[in-house]
Amino acid sequence: MADEVLTPQKRDPIKSSVGNVAAQRRRQQAVTLRKERREALVRTKRLCRVGVNVDDADVPVDGEMMIDEEQSILEAQTLKAVEELKLAVAYQGKGATQKRVSALRELRRLLSKSEFPPVEAALEAEAMPILVQCLSFGSPDEQLLEASWCLTNIAAGKPEETKALLPALPLLIGHLGEKSSLPVAEQCAWALGNVAGEEEDLRNVLLSQGALLPLARMILPNKGSTVRTAAWALSNLIKGPDSKAATDLIRIDGVLDAILRHLKRADEELATEVAWIVVYLTALSNSATSVLARSEILQILVERLASSTSYQLLIPVLRSLGNLVAGDSYVINSVLVTGSEITVNVIQALVKCLRSEHRVLKKEASWALSNIAAGSFEHKQLIQSSEAVPLLLRLLSTAPFDVRKEVAYVIGNLCVAPSEGSGRPNLIVEHLVALVGGGCLPGFVDLVRSADIEAARLGLQFMELVLRGMPNGEGPKLVEGEDGIDAMERFQFHENDELRSMANELVDKYFGENYGLDA
Amino acid sequence: MGPHYTTIHDEETTWTVQYAIIPRFSQAPLLDNLDPKEKDTMEVTQVLLSAQAIDSTVRKHAEDTLKQFQEQNLPGYLLSLSGELASEEKPVESRKLAGLILKNALDAKEQHRKYELVQRWLSLDVAVKSQIKACLLQTLSSPVPDARSTASQVIAKVAGIELPQKQWPELIGSLLSNIHQVPPHVKQATLETLGYLCEEVVPEVVEQDHVNKILTAVVQGMNANEGNNEVRLSATRALYNALSFAQANFSNDMERDYIMRVVCEATLSPEVKIRQAAFECLVSIGSTYYEKLAPYIQDIFNITSKAVKEDEEPVALQAIEFWSSICDEEIDILEEYGGEFTADSDVPCYYFIKQALPALVPMLLETLLKQEEDQDQDEGAWNLAMAGGTCLGLVARTVGDDIVPLVMPFIEENITKPDWRQREAATYAFGSILEGPSPDKLTPIVNVALNFMLTALTNDPSSHVKDTTAWTLGRIFEFLHGSTVETPIITPANCQQIITVLLQSMKDVPNVAEKACGALYFLAQGYEDLGSSSALTPYFQEIVQSLLNVTHREDAGESRLRTAAYETLNEVVRCSTEETARLVLELVQVIMAELHKTLEAQNLSSDEREKQNELQGLLCGCLQVIIQKLGASDTTKYAFMHYGDQIMNLFIRVFACRSATVHEEAMLAIGAFAYATGPNFAKYMPDFYKYLEMGLQNFEEYQVCAVTVGVVGDICRALEDKILPYCDGIMTQLLKDLSSNQLHRSVKPPIFSSFGDIALAIGENFEKYLMYAMPMLQSAAELSAHTSGADDEMIEYTNLLRNGILEAYSGIFQGFKNSPKTQLLIPYAPHILQFLDSIYMEKDMDDVVMKTAIGVLGDLADTLGSNAGSLIQQSLSSKDFLNECLSSDDHLIKESAEWARLAISRAISV
Repeated sequence: MADEVLTPQKRDPIKSSVGNVAAQRRRQQAVTLRKERREALVRTKRLCRVGVNVDDADVPVDGEMMIDEEQSILEAQTLKAVEELKLAVAYQGKGATQKRVSALRELRRLLSKSEFPPVEAALEAEAMPILVQCLSFGSPDEQLLEASWCLTNIAAGKPEETKALLPALPLLIGHLGEKSSLPVAEQCAWALGNVAGEEEDLRNVLLSQGALLPLARMILPNKGSTVRTAAWALSNLIKGPDSKAATDLIRIDGVLDAILRHLKRADEELATEVAWIVVYLTALSNSATSVLARSEILQILVERLASSTSYQLLIPVLRSLGNLVAGDSYVINSVLVTGSEITVNVIQALVKCLRSEHRVLKKEASWALSNIAAGSFEHKQLIQSSEAVPLLLRLLSTAPFDVRKEVAYVIGNLCVAPSEGSGRPNLIVEHLVALVGGGCLPGFVDLVRSADIEAARLGLQFMELVLRGMPNGEGPKLVEGEDGIDAMERFQFHENDELRSMANELVDKYFGENYGLDA
Repeated sequence: MGPHYTTIHDEETTWTVQYAIIPRFSQAPLLDNLDPKEKDTMEVTQVLLSAQAIDSTVRKHAEDTLKQFQEQNLPGYLLSLSGELASEEKPVESRKLAGLILKNALDAKEQHRKYELVQRWLSLDVAVKSQIKACLLQTLSSPVPDARSTASQVIAKVAGIELPQKQWPELIGSLLSNIHQVPPHVKQATLETLGYLCEEVVPEVVEQDHVNKILTAVVQGMNANEGNNEVRLSATRALYNALSFAQANFSNDMERDYIMRVVCEATLSPEVKIRQAAFECLVSIGSTYYEKLAPYIQDIFNITSKAVKEDEEPVALQAIEFWSSICDEEIDILEEYGGEFTADSDVPCYYFIKQALPALVPMLLETLLKQEEDQDQDEGAWNLAMAGGTCLGLVARTVGDDIVPLVMPFIEENITKPDWRQREAATYAFGSILEGPSPDKLTPIVNVALNFMLTALTNDPSSHVKDTTAWTLGRIFEFLHGSTVETPIITPANCQQIITVLLQSMKDVPNVAEKACGALYFLAQGYEDLGSSSALTPYFQEIVQSLLNVTHREDAGESRLRTAAYETLNEVVRCSTEETARLVLELVQVIMAELHKTLEAQNLSSDEREKQNELQGLLCGCLQVIIQKLGASDTTKYAFMHYGDQIMNLFIRVFACRSATVHEEAMLAIGAFAYATGPNFAKYMPDFYKYLEMGLQNFEEYQVCAVTVGVVGDICRALEDKILPYCDGIMTQLLKDLSSNQLHRSVKPPIFSSFGDIALAIGENFEKYLMYAMPMLQSAAELSAHTSGADDEMIEYTNLLRNGILEAYSGIFQGFKNSPKTQLLIPYAPHILQFLDSIYMEKDMDDVVMKTAIGVLGDLADTLGSNAGSLIQQSLSSKDFLNECLSSDDHLIKESAEWARLAISRAISV
């Protein structure tokens, strides 16, 4: 029981024993160390991205790098490492290789260290000539690996830093050959992929130095990270905008076969990289598209589309599919013929994408569908009777703008038959009635109101179909009911001549002086 | 080149344990419909007396009877006890014990037990509670002091439960009415009760009117007019607790003047206990109401200085403590200023210490001469000289250079005197002021003093003087030696002499040797970060050998000498350079042999076992440092790994020495070992796993649990996906820990962080833990989102908790990145964004949390890509948060933010 109450705690004496402090500090150090390691690991993971990006995905970070203490320490270490490397390369005595390798490794570590690797410092210290020297043929694999790794990280830097690799390119390409060990070839491919991803000029240099063939050969085997890295580098290399590389690639022996094989059987990561190759082939080169269209690729793409759940994979697969449909009429006319199983499967797979949560998938699936809907009457009927329609109708009212626009194309296409000769397209009244009945009109009226000219035009065109085509002259009432007149009147003084006259014409024709009298 | 990810297909594993997110408490027992008046017939007096019997069988029997009574009929039991306490016919021993048992039935140290007891009391029948409370209040009038005092404490405990529930509203009123009662003993007991009450409840639950009345009653009771010393003492002690209620009263000049006058008068009371209690009030006022002190500081100085010079030790110690706590306040304030006097701080600095300096320093120096003969051997010693020196050290930290000219004459006058007390006091004064003043000011003096100190350490006839001299050398090395110091005080010319003297002193009596080790510790520390070459290299072997010799001294158990020697050895190793790597490697074998020796001992007494345990701790600690050292470079790591199997085997055997608990130091060492070993650590997992689990289960010794949780992270990083087979067990245990209401709260943040570690290691295989871990994280996030009204300590803890939660999220996102299963995380994204929103809005996160939080935003975008894009765009404050981080001065925050911006722009543009 508290007889002596209120004894405030005694203060720690200034003269204390070292043991207590030390043990506490030691524990604290373990915690700090652990924290540093955790952060380093997270940092590494953050930097590690699957090599492929959607074209427009890389937004450059502003050049405002922080010059602070840590960075300057890192730079100082880098200078030192490059100097060590120079010494090691000059040294010829016993253990020279080991010395070179460890100097390279140190430099590589520094270059992999932070989010802002000290690339500039390394280049200023003139690391490039010495790294090129380390790549000379006949060097030990470990040395080649470390040197090409350093180059990979330098190439990942700012554009002018990537360009610094120019003197190294012939040797990097040289090491892609069959005589090289796989890890070395892979690392070189990685470095080249970074270079190719940077800009067109660099791609042209690589192509003129013969990078295409050895990289293409690297994707022939069945599996392995080397195949994946090479496929990624290859997709960067053929990005164009010149189509020659894509055309050349498809003609290389075994490439078509390898592409089909990987798409069909490989794991999702490899399939993803290969699908990106197909995206560029079909986007740039007519002859490549034609070759592919006549292969079994469509079936394979559809199967992947149906079975995978990885967005990384689905996006390039879907885009390839869309490119094929859009790029070569052979696909619509001879492959996706109505009544065939493949056509049903394609539509089903696209329906799956429409259902996805992913905006890009919905958008690109609509785009692909719009191209199919632009086909024959039978194609339109097939889509009209599929599960796609309710999904499209919902998307038209709820999806983000860019998706709605693609959806509008599909719906618009479903309602018109290929025009015979010139003039206005013929209506498919049955589809129009069903779709308007499904509630699509407000969606189009919304498009009319949008600032996007293309979307507004699409909206007006559809409104014209409704005004003209709905049976029993119901059109004008429907349009008025959805505030369509108001939407059109906004164009009265619009700067775009085409839209202005289109809108004015419609208003005059359907809502002129006589409108409402006979109602 | 980053790691390559492989998709490992999930094996069907059964998850057998489900844990409730909200801790489940055992229900309070249901009440039977007892009529307490009729059933209250048990005669507890005899049982209570027997429970205090010397005969253990009698005692045991009585305890069992009480326990049985409690279990069968709790209300009746509590009523009997309160009746016993209130009854004037009963012996004082049984009344006291009855009160004590009642008190323990209302409160416990352990958080969960306390909660149970509170719930149990609240669910008791109202009639029962009223009767108990009536008994308690009645006891306050008892002529028996022990009964009154016991009742006071029980009343305060009941108040602590009921007042926050808005129950027992009449309590304070009825206590206050007691104050006007004539018998002084009732008044005394009531004041005592008010004091305990203020200690038990938070100010918010007492209305201001009551606060005013309580303070009035208390201050009146303290007044010099109060003739009864017992009343005055209880009132003074009550004020100590009531001070935290007096915010409003201290803002009112008149009321404050009155309180201060009464407190100051009480420091002059003829009764020593009243004087001591009054000084304790002054100390508390000094830190609670620092900004109100200016008008009183001169008077307080006079009072304290008189007390230090003339009063009895307990009073004088409190008088010194007043100035120490003023130093604490001013050090804090000046630290917040950060050297810039324009900065706005909540509390301005009044520079009381600086103003009092010319008088304060001589007063403190005087105390240094009042040493006790045996203070160096007694670890818990605390006397005037020790308090004075400690205060002098704080004064030096507060005022810096200004203290030096005031202390130097004292040192010069006394340092060569024949009386050891004078020499020791002079040395102690010197050692105390080494932290605070600038190196410019101190270095010239130290350069002169160093030689003198080394001579004194060798030749002074008094071991008191030698003890303090060695300590002062340690302070010199701690504050004036190291890579950041411009003018080195240790030069090639004196280095050898310093080491020779210190090594020699390690053979002196234990307390002197311990201080010499401490000096060497700081000497070695100063050579940390000096690059590839250290001035200690030539002496490394000799130093290590001397320290090992110290650990073997027969008397190394005294004065914590052995601990000091091992910790110093650790520091010497930690701060050594490559030049001595070979010698450190040799040391591995020596320490392993020592550890092996401790395992050979058989049939130990409990005393010997404790010693064995302690020695094993020291040796494991040493191995931890060595492993960290050798593991840091590839060449030494390779050589060290030859001993890997043997070392791990030793650690396992150390674990096996104990049955129920794991050895904390061995666990720490294993963390270092796993990190150094990397994926090869997998081969030790089958043997080690059970101890890992045991450590995680040990939430009673929370430090052990915390260390083990940290080791989980180390192992994750070492093993990466090879940890997968053990993850079910580890996650089960971690989730169980989190669900336990017994777990010390400080372990929770590291547990959350370790979720992140596990996810980083096993990637998408973390899938099956999502459904358990995510709700835990989510509810913890909700709890930690808002801190309104919390104190600094709580805010600090909340930020630790937030950081742990955010580290978990980062780890999970980065772990899942590039896997086909990322969409599993989409459902959690809105909540996580909301959490980020709310902590941003709360504006109270520290830099660490800010950095981690903005990183999580990036991780979310990075892993979920366009799925997260629109969510991020919709979130309330992501953009502001990002911009704020981008313009942060803290480069780590900025770096994370740059990365997050990149990840977000990628996600949005897809």
